Amino acid sequence: MRDYLPLLIVGAIIGVFSAVLILVYALIKDKKESMGFERNMKDGELIKRLLHYAKPYWFNFVIVGLVMLLSVSYNILSPILISGIERIFENENGFVYNDVLWRVILYACILIGSLIGTYVQAIVLQKTGQKIISQLREDAFTHIESLSHAQLAHMPVGKLVTRVTNDTNAISMMFTGMLANLFKNIFVIIGVLIAMLFINYMLTLMVLCFVPFIVLFTVIFRKFSRRAYRQVKNGTTDINTYLAEHLSGMKIIQIFNREKRKMQEFDAKNQKLYRAQRGQIFVFGIFRPAVYMLYISSVLCLFFLGAKGALSGKEILGQVVDGATIVAFYMFVSRFFNPIQNLAEQFHRLQSAFASAEKIFTILDIRPSVVDEQDAIEVENIRGEIEFKNVWFAYNEGEWVLKGVSFHVNANDTVAFVGATGSGKTTILSLLCRNYDIQKGEILLDGINIRHIKISSLRRHFGQMLQDVFLFAGTVRSNIVLRDEYSDDEVMQACRYVNADKFIDRLPDGLGEEVRERGNNFSAGQRQLLSFARTIIHRPEVMILDEATANIDTETELLIQDSLGKMMNIGTMLIVAHRLSTIQHADNIIVISDGMIVEQGNHHELLQQRGRYYELYMLQFNKEQIKKNIKATQ
Amino acid sequence: MIFGKYINRFYLKYAVLILCGLAALVAVDYAQTLIPEMYRMVIDGVDKGVVAVDGGYADFDMQFVWARICVPMFFIIIFIIVGRFVWRICLFGSGIRVERDLRKKMFAHCEELSAEFYSREKIGNLMSLFTNDLETVQDCFGNGIMMTFDAAFLGGLALYKMFRMDWLMTLLSLIPMALMVAMSLILGKYMTLKWRTRQQAFSDLSDFAQESFSGIAVIKAFVKEFKELLAFRWLNKKNENANVAYTRISTILNVLVTLFVESVICIVLGYGSYLVYKGIFTGGQLMEFIGYFNAIIWPVTAITELIEMHSRGKASLNRVSDLLETKRDVTDSPEAVSIDHVDGTIEFRNVTFRYPNVDYDSLHDVSFLINAGEKVGIIGKTGSGKTTLADLILRCYNVADGTVFVDGRDVNTVTVKSLRDFCAYVPQDNFLFSDTIRNNIAFAVDDASDEEVKVAAILSDIDENISRFGDGYNTFMGERGVTVSGGQKQRISIARALMTNASILILDDSVSAVDTDTEKNILNNLRKARYGKTTIYIAHRISTVRDLDKIILLDNGEVVDIGDHAQLMERCPMYRNMVALQELEEEDA
Repeated sequence: MRDYLPLLIVGAIIGVFSAVLILVYALIKDKKESMGFERNMKDGELIKRLLHYAKPYWFNFVIVGLVMLLSVSYNILSPILISGIERIFENENGFVYNDVLWRVILYACILIGSLIGTYVQAIVLQKTGQKIISQLREDAFTHIESLSHAQLAHMPVGKLVTRVTNDTNAISMMFTGMLANLFKNIFVIIGVLIAMLFINYMLTLMVLCFVPFIVLFTVIFRKFSRRAYRQVKNGTTDINTYLAEHLSGMKIIQIFNREKRKMQEFDAKNQKLYRAQRGQIFVFGIFRPAVYMLYISSVLCLFFLGAKGALSGKEILGQVVDGATIVAFYMFVSRFFNPIQNLAEQFHRLQSAFASAEKIFTILDIRPSVVDEQDAIEVENIRGEIEFKNVWFAYNEGEWVLKGVSFHVNANDTVAFVGATGSGKTTILSLLCRNYDIQKGEILLDGINIRHIKISSLRRHFGQMLQDVFLFAGTVRSNIVLRDEYSDDEVMQACRYVNADKFIDRLPDGLGEEVRERGNNFSAGQRQLLSFARTIIHRPEVMILDEATANIDTETELLIQDSLGKMMNIGTMLIVAHRLSTIQHADNIIVISDGMIVEQGNHHELLQQRGRYYELYMLQFNKEQIKKNIKATQ
Repeated sequence: MIFGKYINRFYLKYAVLILCGLAALVAVDYAQTLIPEMYRMVIDGVDKGVVAVDGGYADFDMQFVWARICVPMFFIIIFIIVGRFVWRICLFGSGIRVERDLRKKMFAHCEELSAEFYSREKIGNLMSLFTNDLETVQDCFGNGIMMTFDAAFLGGLALYKMFRMDWLMTLLSLIPMALMVAMSLILGKYMTLKWRTRQQAFSDLSDFAQESFSGIAVIKAFVKEFKELLAFRWLNKKNENANVAYTRISTILNVLVTLFVESVICIVLGYGSYLVYKGIFTGGQLMEFIGYFNAIIWPVTAITELIEMHSRGKASLNRVSDLLETKRDVTDSPEAVSIDHVDGTIEFRNVTFRYPNVDYDSLHDVSFLINAGEKVGIIGKTGSGKTTLADLILRCYNVADGTVFVDGRDVNTVTVKSLRDFCAYVPQDNFLFSDTIRNNIAFAVDDASDEEVKVAAILSDIDENISRFGDGYNTFMGERGVTVSGGQKQRISIARALMTNASILILDDSVSAVDTDTEKNILNNLRKARYGKTTIYIAHRISTVRDLDKIILLDNGEVVDIGDHAQLMERCPMYRNMVALQELEEEDA
């Protein structure tokens, strides 16, 4: 036994070390849900769907596989060549230098060949992976755009953006990096193992003794590193959220003299992050040396067994150990350990790519709730006659927002909807463009049920001006034309028509003026005018306006009212009105209360009825002015 | 490694830690370079039966293997493991300590910077100082020290041993390495460029998606889905190309580095075999030499990495330093005194004020007097200078000497903090923190009781709403909790200001988002709660200020008139006009 003392010592150290790790592993429980990778879709299903995207490129993958064999061969052949050189040296009768030289040249050739292989493999993979991901990304983008308003309302924009950007990127890394590494590592492990077995199976068995420990260490480490990583990440997120908020609210903190208190809060978070980082360093500080220990121990065993084998009759289990064997194994050991460790770590990263894939497929699996009917038609020219026939609608089942609304709008008429907040005015307008589908009743455009019209065709005839005018980052011009081709003259003409020309002319860059995110460098009134111009230039037959309630300065207000007056003459117009002046000019006023039409008629008729409209009107005007108005109408 | 004004002190502060780490690092490097020698002994011993050791020759037997290889290697192994652990803890540990200390210092500094700074800087930019830049600095510190010294020691030691074995072969193997460093530096620059293009392409794509999804209602309304997709496809293609271009250059760099490194092996094998052929070297020695060479590969590649890291670190440190060196703007004058009581008289004497970096005056020759305990309304159009008045009373900006007075004292003779102790403010944007409602209301008071919080909430007419939330006063607000409406925000923010019971309260457009009845309620409550204390209402609605003691009408930064509602109605045409217009514009309730 004494003869094998070094082996026993190595075995004991590694054994004790593993035992401690396993013990700690078992003692520290990890919360299941915090693993972050719980998924509903099975791995198999995800792989199948991902492969579907990869399928058109199968040929590329075959090429990559073949080229990979080339680059892997270097890993296996180079130790054999070097040990071959060493064997030549061992010849007791000296050697011919040329024998060595051609081996060196061969070595160089294999090297170059493998490098070319590496290059080709990386580029082909990257190109293929990117193509696959582009397709997936476009699919996701198109799909998200096809979802209805109701569906999108529940999805934060940030999440949707992550789906088409970061999540797809995670998958692209899987195609370009991870899969290639996976196969490469497997090839290398198999190749090295075969080579080692051929050279000396006794020593190979010795090397294999270390394999379970590498896997064990890596698996245990993964748990702790993930935990540490999560803590650091949480700490960072925490501190960043805190910072973002408190830097924005610094004025409040200062005015209320809360600096000291906030500093304490911040410091607590700062310390927490520091402790998390320290924990992470500790985990790595244990693991990295531990893996090194395994490697260097196997080298020690190699030296010991090699020497022992050589000394005790130069033959163990019928195999000769010489210097060349030791050289080959010395090189093979590290080439064998690295891929195994890689593989064990790879699994984790593959899981996170799968998690991203699931998120994307989950989005893709959502069926758009408002879609064209199979035999939906295109409508070319419309007059703009609109009819609601006993329309019932609810955003959430059972909570009726519209309860049997019926009305008729003649082509080219202007209709104003009036009523309290939440009465359903805005809903009527968005039903018309099929932002939502109604549950009961019919909505007709020129006598055709809008469900029978293709959504794209339907919406093309409508000009929607929404209450919160959304402006895209870009220029004034790009916000008006919306990716269509219009000449500057046409754009300016539209702007003039809606009185937007005056403020645009004052801008330093005119139509080319930059519009910042969400148009925050334009006032509410200016945004409103731009949305008018945007609508006018697209020449809709029916216009829909949800009047802004925001404070608009008096001067702009006058411009808006004036251009509204002009727009009313273009075609049919439906307005959710907030301003009396707007209402008064309407051909028909529909008063809505609690999802039902309570009265309709023009301004004068309604005032004379002394009903709900009269009340609303009273609220807004003081008595003097109303009296004056009524007198004028009689 | 980086040096600079704000980082040098940390080398001193954490000197012990760093020195311990470096000692461990040097020890590990030394131990590591012993292994190739054992490798040589085994090979030569197995081949020849004798081994050159300590200048003489020894027989290679189990005795020798045990004493000269196994025992030393045990110690080396233990040494390396312990040493690696120690330097990781010490050196990386010093890095994160520096990060922590700097972050704290930066936040403390941010707390002292005034409104002017925050109006100029984007929060996003500031945040990136706290995240990206700080991380880079940390990396340069901990990792930078480690890499610099490791490369120097390990590289130096191995090189020394190589030179001792054969100087010519060493020089020969250094030529490709020098080429590699030069090439990495050149290609590295190019790669950085490609990397930026790639990041840009990705962020363009991301921005596009962000915009497109945010404005999806418009896109659907104008049936532009397909056009959007085309635009997206174009960006996607660009992103694809940028990725391939980057991969190409980075792969080339990788391949070339491997080529240069491995070509050295070829040189060593070729020339070394010749030495063996000549009998100058043994086979074992050649392998030992290759072992040393393997040890210098990483130090050599580290050179380029270090250079790049240094330039990144320097840039980040400069940005951090810029922040730390930003001068505080609103400061106490040396003779400023702390006050322990404020009655609430406020006087402006011919105040003309212009915000920094703006080319027009926000206030022009403004004079008025607010007596202690008065309820005053400030009214005017957007941009007339109402909020500026509040900013100046609260000393968010500096004012000239002899212009703004509180209790008859020039505000510049009073410390900012002590003055603010007697002021409360309801900001226009109603900034609230993502915290519980209770903590938001009790924000300004250290140990507020639940009753006090409730009283403030009742006064600002929000108590009822709060009790309807799931967790009542402990309901979380903001991203992780409930979303409250603009009107609710305003009322919580009023409650927060009422908690301090300050001598001066300024409400900036604070009841604009509540309906008329609630407004009336709150104004009534405020009248009672603020009896005898100065209260300033900044408003654009006449209904808010109609019943106050005094109304200051501002236009274009100038005082148009001061008086109560009746007086202004009588003598001020602009006020009358405003009243008439507002009644016209009132929305349907």
